Amino acid sequence: MTAALTIDGIGVAFAGFKAVDGVSLVIEEGELRVLLGANGAGKTTLMDLVSGRTRATEGHVFLYDREITNRDEHQIARAGLGRKFQIPSVFKELSVRANLEVASCRNPHVFANLRFGFSRAQRRRVDEVLALIDLGDTADQPAANLSHGQTQWLELGMLIVQDPKVLLLDEPTAGMTQAETHKTAEIIKSLRGQHSIIVVEHDMAFVREIAERITVLHLGRVLAEGDLASIETNEDVRRAYLGAAAGHG
Amino acid sequence: MLEIIFIGLSVGSILLLVALGLAITYGAMGVINMAHGEMVMLGAYTTVMAGIWLHLGFLASIPLAFVVTALVGLAIERVVVRRLYGRLLDTLLATWGIAILLQQAVRLEFGLSFFGKHIRGLGPGLQNVTVPPALTGAIMVGGEDVNVYRLFIIGVTAALTALTWFIMYRTDIGIQVRAIMRNPRMAAACGVNVQRINALTFAYGSGLAGIAGVMMSGFKTVFPDMGTSMVVDGFLVVVVGGVGSLLGAVFSAGLLGQVDGSVASLTNDVLARAVVFGLVILIIVIRPTGLFSFKGR
Amino acid sequence: MTIQRRLDYLCYAIFIVAILLVPLLLGDFWINRMSKFLVYGMLGVAVSLCWGYAGILNLGQGLFFGAGAYMLAMSLKLLSNTSMQQGSDTPVPDFMLWNAQPGAPTELCCINHGSWLWLPFQSQWFGILMGILLPVTLALILGLIVFRKRIAGVFVSIITLALVLLVRLVLIDAQPLTNGFNGLTDLGTLTILGYQFDAYGLGTYYLIAVSLALVLIGARMLVETRAGLILQAIRDDQNRVRYLGFDVPVYQLFFFTVSAGIAGYAGMLYVVAAEFASPTFMDLAYSITMVVWAAVGGRASLLGACIGAILINIVAATVSETQSFMEAWKAVIGLVFVLVVLYLPRGLAGLASDIGERIEARAAARAATGSQAAAMVAASRRAP
Repeated sequence: MTAALTIDGIGVAFAGFKAVDGVSLVIEEGELRVLLGANGAGKTTLMDLVSGRTRATEGHVFLYDREITNRDEHQIARAGLGRKFQIPSVFKELSVRANLEVASCRNPHVFANLRFGFSRAQRRRVDEVLALIDLGDTADQPAANLSHGQTQWLELGMLIVQDPKVLLLDEPTAGMTQAETHKTAEIIKSLRGQHSIIVVEHDMAFVREIAERITVLHLGRVLAEGDLASIETNEDVRRAYLGAAAGHG
Repeated sequence: MLEIIFIGLSVGSILLLVALGLAITYGAMGVINMAHGEMVMLGAYTTVMAGIWLHLGFLASIPLAFVVTALVGLAIERVVVRRLYGRLLDTLLATWGIAILLQQAVRLEFGLSFFGKHIRGLGPGLQNVTVPPALTGAIMVGGEDVNVYRLFIIGVTAALTALTWFIMYRTDIGIQVRAIMRNPRMAAACGVNVQRINALTFAYGSGLAGIAGVMMSGFKTVFPDMGTSMVVDGFLVVVVGGVGSLLGAVFSAGLLGQVDGSVASLTNDVLARAVVFGLVILIIVIRPTGLFSFKGR
Repeated sequence: MTIQRRLDYLCYAIFIVAILLVPLLLGDFWINRMSKFLVYGMLGVAVSLCWGYAGILNLGQGLFFGAGAYMLAMSLKLLSNTSMQQGSDTPVPDFMLWNAQPGAPTELCCINHGSWLWLPFQSQWFGILMGILLPVTLALILGLIVFRKRIAGVFVSIITLALVLLVRLVLIDAQPLTNGFNGLTDLGTLTILGYQFDAYGLGTYYLIAVSLALVLIGARMLVETRAGLILQAIRDDQNRVRYLGFDVPVYQLFFFTVSAGIAGYAGMLYVVAAEFASPTFMDLAYSITMVVWAAVGGRASLLGACIGAILINIVAATVSETQSFMEAWKAVIGLVFVLVVLYLPRGLAGLASDIGERIEARAAARAATGSQAAAMVAASRRAP
């Protein structure tokens, strides 16, 4: 097996507070990893560090053999790492199809894009993804008209069009109905094998549906790693996360 | 040296006088009110008109100008600004339209000049205001001649700044304004009547501009376009200081005033303004959020 | 191609034919006026490209317009008779001689500090070249700093506003070089391949009309490219575009610079039609007025913004025959502007497209029977 994403001892401190403190993770090619952790455990910050939003003060990140530590966001994205945000962000004034077309531009340079239309291969890819995320009927409507769930799928679709090596999905089911959550799980499962995926999630039903391996973060450190059963029976995790979750409920 | 510092202080206090109202409307409400300069203009004209028609003295015009401009501000908020919350650039453009309207209203004497009727004190011409003799002349401070009227402006600015600080940080209304500043939706959820507070804030900010207008009328000629350059200066002060920061506005008005004053004494007024603009661009580029800023929403 | 887009292209075609035919109906005086208004139309295109498509509200568009205008005006000034009658072999601007120190040399190289900057402008082509190059370079430098620092929204507006006022003051302060407040007047005539572009002639009108047509078509083509699509995506959500792997500042910079180039070109054309260049081009009011035109016409429509600029000016010129009417017109503009922002945020172009859609839907309803069928047709119209 080859490692698709290697996070090696990464960390960052905000005004002395270590939000992520020396986290190491290895995601194998084609693996689907779920990241768990209570609020403030450092999940989103970890995503920020990997995707270039936040600069790391220590450690390294590799995408396959290539070091991407502290590169600009667009460089990391071009290297093959796609990220979906917690609050879905799409281009509201553009049509659903145009949203995907923007993502399908292979060459990021402005002068390379001074041309009209898209190649047949690109259009086919956009159609495929439209079918996958089930937005074929609304392809020509502005993205602003989509429901919350559909918007999430569209953003997911934009990443899929790009065919990234590694996908970071930050709470892809946030705010979704049960049916929508289920469908999202289907989409993510269909990507398994072709992409290496990290999913940050709170919804345990969803996690049970998709999870193979789980990593639990707590206070900026890796608390435990293993399959679903071992995590659910892990005493540390119970105390740190499930206990906290019970406290919420 | 002392003289230059004093001139800077005096320029800075005028800047702050104009910027104070903007700091509140922009900071608290996220509204770029391009008609703010016209509020200053209306304040100045209120002084002119009060002198001609009501035989009110200069000092008595201060509360009157506050009331007049606050009411105009209230009307603008009710009719236009209220519909545009959250659309920052649109408010900028709409209030620009209002600014032109107000200028033309004064210049055309509310349209009466079409019918050959003229109101003394209005119209396209220049107006002047007489300042009470007690506020003219100079006194000796520390071996230097100091212009009394400039001293008066510094005093009024300090008093208004203190009053604004008191309202913002020591009253119930102030805490509601600050809540809206940070997060209007949350404030509304906590029972703050956001619409009412916004209207009051806007009226207060406009009223402050009106007082600034009275002060201006004491040492500048009064004419319909006088507000245009002031609103720009005011914004630069607010943006450099950091949106929503009263302390920032005070500090940046002081800074820009000193720079303007000292460059002007070395070269000329035009270059001094150019240097101030350059400095402002530099500061915004280096610190887009301003010198004193908090993370708001 | 959708019907909507076909109608859109039809409007472009009608507009271009219209501006080419208009001189048949007008006398010399109005031809000159229309020449200027078409230049304003070009400014509308520049503003719409920058504001409507890139989402950058540049309140200093006058900087680029003025830069273009001054560059050409400097060349034309040296071509003017007024620069020739000074007893020197080479032309020297008359105001420089008026302002010269007693006993100063009367040669352009050294009449005052900095007058040598005028030397290359003895060639008209240098002025023309700089008329594009200077605004583009300014935009590149400004954009590079602003967009790399991820400065956005109102802060860009304030920086551009402060910059145009800064340049205006420097221009006024450099009175010996620029003639200060008075600007450059008494200009010579632009001559290309032996043809003289007289401000009141048809030649100038067609130079401007054809330029506008080309700029309009070019800008439209630009926003139809993939890059244009990406630009609109950036306007909607910068961050998302960044995380899709695009270098956002480069795109913003590109379109900002193109917009500046158009404004600079417009500035040059304005000098040809108006025969002067003045610091008023860099007044705050001038730059905001351009934005007003674009907003009234429709910021998100290149053609709409262009027509908005032309229409407002035609109406203004028609009603403002007397001074007091002109002042009243300003008040009307203020009012119109408030109303447009409040009730027509997409401007006249938005209104036109809404009306077009409604007519289309009604026609479809008449063709089909029953309201449900009509809705289906209306829906299928949206499909490619």
